[in-house]
Amino acid sequence: MKILEGIDITHRFGGLMAVDNANFHVDQGEIVGLIGPNGAGKTTVFNIVSGAIKPTLGKVKFKGEDITAVKPHQICHMGLARTFQTTKLFTNMSAFDNIKLALLFGNPERKIGRKEAEKEINQLFAVMGMLSDRNKPVKEMSLAMQKRLEIVRALATNPQMLLLDEVMSGLTPKELTQSMQLITQLRDRGITIFMIEHVMQAIMGVCDRLIVFHYGSKIAEGTPSEVVKDPTVNAIYLGK
Amino acid sequence: MLISTIFSKRKFALSMIILSIVLLGIAPRFAPPYTIISLITILMYVILTLSWTIFSGPTNYISLATAALFGVGVYTSAVLNKSLPLIVIVIISGLLSFILALLIGSLTLRLKGVYFILFTFGVTALIRNVIQWWETHITLTVGRHVPSAGNETVYAYMVTIYALTLLFIFLLQNSSYGMALQGIGENEDAAEHIGIDVTRLKVLTFAFSAIFMGAAGAVMATRWRYIDPTIAFNPLLSFLPVLMAIFGGTWLLGGPILGAVIFTLLQEYLITEYPYLYMLLMGLILVIVILYLPGGLLTLIMRLYIRLVIQWAKTKFQIQMLKTRWAEEWRPKVSMALAQWRLRIQWRMGMKRK
Repeated sequence: MKILEGIDITHRFGGLMAVDNANFHVDQGEIVGLIGPNGAGKTTVFNIVSGAIKPTLGKVKFKGEDITAVKPHQICHMGLARTFQTTKLFTNMSAFDNIKLALLFGNPERKIGRKEAEKEINQLFAVMGMLSDRNKPVKEMSLAMQKRLEIVRALATNPQMLLLDEVMSGLTPKELTQSMQLITQLRDRGITIFMIEHVMQAIMGVCDRLIVFHYGSKIAEGTPSEVVKDPTVNAIYLGK
Repeated sequence: MLISTIFSKRKFALSMIILSIVLLGIAPRFAPPYTIISLITILMYVILTLSWTIFSGPTNYISLATAALFGVGVYTSAVLNKSLPLIVIVIISGLLSFILALLIGSLTLRLKGVYFILFTFGVTALIRNVIQWWETHITLTVGRHVPSAGNETVYAYMVTIYALTLLFIFLLQNSSYGMALQGIGENEDAAEHIGIDVTRLKVLTFAFSAIFMGAAGAVMATRWRYIDPTIAFNPLLSFLPVLMAIFGGTWLLGGPILGAVIFTLLQEYLITEYPYLYMLLMGLILVIVILYLPGGLLTLIMRLYIRLVIQWAKTKFQIQMLKTRWAEEWRPKVSMALAQWRLRIQWRMGMKRK
């Protein structure tokens, strides 16, 4: 079943064609990787899907509903959460408050009491293995920790689907393995994952399917092993 | 960490708020009339600065629409004063300012940064000129007289509005919406993507903060007695709250209050003592505060307070040190000396007895 579908999406920034007539879909329970060289339009696709920008042409469907003109906070309430390429945390707050805000405003249909909220936030921190850092100011955290905190914040809105924008870049090998495990765990808990990534090890290790973008259009799609053998992909990445 | 342990406590903030309201409430019983009059002016600035910080403090959207929102109150009061009791006028003014802020907010809050600042300032100028035009061409009046409500009444109203403003801020700061506003100030995109209805929250907060400005305006009109569009929509009233908040510090409640009070007092003092150097001195003080106290005057007080706390801890520690030294070093020596002395006396006595 398709949980997310992009139909004929085109987006122009002035004269630049950032996304050119792209069609893609993500099935429920999948881990899909979105790859491509710098400037291929990957983050623009994420911005369109999460509602941050409205595409020039085309439609986005989430769980069968058209979300092209829906505002970001409503898309979040529908169960689609995201992280950002450059982390966008509330840096003057503690880690705990960052998550609390997401928990309180990401679940508008629930009334969450103080104690209940605290318990749930602690659970989320425990899942990510950062319970001891929960009262730290975000300013004092390393980049890897900030990226993980962004995932926690996205999870606090109780999503069915998660858009991860380069969460693994700049991690040490150990952190990378942890993150890969974590993403598989999230999928096992029923969260569909759509991720932009440059780290080949991570892509090959966790993704069920890859979508390759180049100059705003989709040039290849398939399982990681298929994509690696694809002649156009090889030409783009390695030159010919 | 020290700051948060001492100052973020709700009880402390609440007790200071209640104390200030009680002190202001009983002031007319013993303060001379002149003090009451200057307290009215100070309260006006405090209310304007506080209500300005409700929205602009956490979100970092610098609004220059204060004069418009205040002026609407002043003008409403001037138009309606002869037909309605003051309390009704104050409520109507607050509501009108609320509606105006709602309009300005929904028009401008999609703008960011400097565009927002310019637009709010432009709106203020527009409203002033439209009313001026209306008065000179349609109603054919230049200024309007407002019957005085008496200083005691005006003062009572101002204290009440002050208390209500503080109550609103206190409730907001301790709700999740206060935190959400701070989130918007720190990263609006992120706030939007975790499910905060950013636009609605911004517009509503802006509108609610306007109620207090409008209400204060309605009361001040009865204090000034004569108003015209240039007095009601004085552009200085857009800038002063910003300066006062920066002067005192925008964080916490104490900053804006402190800023407004000291700024107003300083202004009055400098105007009377150095009428020719007033602007120069004022500018100099502002520059110094911004350069050396980026967090406002409140940081200075915090620093002094922290130093005091540390000094107190140090003194306590030194006393403790003296005590242990007494117990470990000096007391044995003293008791030894005493014992020796006693024994020696006993020995001498014994000698004598023999």
